Amino acid sequence: MTAIIGCGNLIRSDDGAGPMLIRKLWELGVPEGVRLADGGTAGMDVIFQIGDAKELILVDACTSGAEPGTIFEVPGEEVEAPPLKEVNLHNIRWDNAIAMGRWLLKERFPKKVTVFLIEAENLEHGFGLSPAVEAAVERLARDLIQRLEEQQCRLS
Amino acid sequence: MSKQGVEVSKKMELKVHSLGRVEGDLDVRVAVEDGVVVDAWTEATMFRGFEIILKGKDPQAGLIVTPRICGICGGSHLTKAVYALDTAWHTEVPPNATLIRNVAQAAETIQSIPRWFYALFAIGLTHQNYASSDLYDEVVRRWAPFEGEHYAIGVTVSSKPVEIYAIFGGQWPHSSFMVPGGVVSAPTLSDITRSISILEHYRETWLEKILLGCSVERWLENKTWSDVLNWLDERAAHRNSDLGLFIRYSMDIGLDKYGSGPGRYLAAGSFPHPQKYRFPTIDGRNAALISRSGVYDGKTFHDFDQERIREDHTHSFFRGSGSLHPFVGVTDPIDPVEGQKEGKYTFAKAPRYEVPGMGAVSLEAGPLARQVIAGRPGAEEWQDYDPLFLNIIQEIGPSVMVRVLARLHEAAKYYLRMRDWLKQINLNEKFYIKPRELPEGRGFGATEAARGALMDWLQIKDGKIDNYQVITPTAWNIGPRDGQGQRGPIETAMIGVPVRNPEDPVELAHIAQSYDSCLVCTVHAYDAKSHRELAKYEVVKM
Repeated sequence: MTAIIGCGNLIRSDDGAGPMLIRKLWELGVPEGVRLADGGTAGMDVIFQIGDAKELILVDACTSGAEPGTIFEVPGEEVEAPPLKEVNLHNIRWDNAIAMGRWLLKERFPKKVTVFLIEAENLEHGFGLSPAVEAAVERLARDLIQRLEEQQCRLS
Repeated sequence: MSKQGVEVSKKMELKVHSLGRVEGDLDVRVAVEDGVVVDAWTEATMFRGFEIILKGKDPQAGLIVTPRICGICGGSHLTKAVYALDTAWHTEVPPNATLIRNVAQAAETIQSIPRWFYALFAIGLTHQNYASSDLYDEVVRRWAPFEGEHYAIGVTVSSKPVEIYAIFGGQWPHSSFMVPGGVVSAPTLSDITRSISILEHYRETWLEKILLGCSVERWLENKTWSDVLNWLDERAAHRNSDLGLFIRYSMDIGLDKYGSGPGRYLAAGSFPHPQKYRFPTIDGRNAALISRSGVYDGKTFHDFDQERIREDHTHSFFRGSGSLHPFVGVTDPIDPVEGQKEGKYTFAKAPRYEVPGMGAVSLEAGPLARQVIAGRPGAEEWQDYDPLFLNIIQEIGPSVMVRVLARLHEAAKYYLRMRDWLKQINLNEKFYIKPRELPEGRGFGATEAARGALMDWLQIKDGKIDNYQVITPTAWNIGPRDGQGQRGPIETAMIGVPVRNPEDPVELAHIAQSYDSCLVCTVHAYDAKSHRELAKYEVVKM
């Protein structure tokens, strides 16, 4: 099973890219065995939504200074963020969530973790994505579905 | 995404962290003189503009927006948002829907109890300041972050109750499944059985085995503080349970001696009776609640009346000074730098309640407040009457220990309530009755989030939201001084606290954590004479 978790806050404009991607995937339809979850801003619960997934895909917004709508693909091991001792429960980010998930789920932790980050343009209070981010969400959704379908073909 | 569109980066400076960022920051500044706190200020450094977002939107937008105000109690936000709409639109809510709303609300609260205790509060108890206690080694063995035996059990079990929420609500967090006139789910028998088995798992693996060391029923036989002390002595299993250890350790290290707070309490009440709140109204709410609402001023109980609430913003970063009822509340933020020139110091407003004969005062919200109100005599047979915590505050006074105890106590109570509600769901009856969407109206919805009273005021005009105001439990507790200069509850709780080591003021952290504000909290201690900063203490560090 592959779990895709979109993180972010819908009422902070482009920060909603993660949850909006989950909705988009839901609308487009994902192959069987793919689990979608809106992780929202609920820190630790992201970990519990990983469940028994073999593969984990996390999606979030970022501000690295790149062109808005730029999509980064980062292997989980590159961004996993121990030590956990610096984390607090109200401030768990996906990088902490990966590390914490590994601690908590132990051998049930997914073999492969990938983080997709979409460069945000606007993080003000409010609904709705900027055009560049919306296009990126659409692009990433279609690409993910294609990858998942190809993966399933290979497996079957 | 085409291959050209993908940039693979190995090292990035990422400034945006969606998870948790919105919960912002709370700075508690205290002035210490001769080892004792003599003054305190709570400063919320983050502006939350959801009232502005909601203005002019569809009346149901509150169901989507408010559950995203907070990543840890979104279900509670949904609960009060839906009752605000129910009262505004004069809906009929079928009993099944009320039962499911109650189950969901309680599920969120009981998940929060072990998570908050192990992952936030108990960590502070392993602080080396307490190494001289005879119980210290055992505390560390159980509660040390990540390594403690019960830490892992508690954190793991905390994921279970919200699975019940997800069964009925489709997802947790941030579900919007409660709608005016009911809920959108249509549960099956297997949903009910699965929910019951999750509850049983919670009871067997943690609640009775680890927390209580006895049955839920045995613990709930305790009606007074002396009952609790007798319970401790009754069996080794009681003494050695996490609750037993917590009480013994607290009395050993002095958590029963400080952090009392204002000694005045507010509960908005929760869990409407499924038959008695079929037609929700603002005025009919109190009489229909299983866990009652109310105010206790230290001597006398009063009925809760939302009309008596004001939000004072004299010391808050909002334009002007004043004290407005939330129906006419205004959210007009100003630049903090400008605000500081007028003596303002926080983005939180100061909620106050007009207590008959006392004027507008601050009130503590949270589990202790709820449990004190539960001790008010005169409950109907179907309402919660529980005199334990009224007795405890009368016998030994409120404190950090008592506040934590109240929260742990609720795990047992809510477990029983949830079992009962799940049994009452009638799968052959309705879960939703479509309401008429009225273009004008005002609504009030309230509930008890894990950390206290949570309320919405909604004003609808021309089919749109004209005004929407939310008061969170965190606002009740971290609110600043008001126009009369009276301190907020946490500010009050800090005064007089002895700080053993001003360079490492762990006592202040315990107080802040016992209120479990939904803001990441840092305590700064200053020397009252020299104004030198003594220490900065991250309160929620794991």
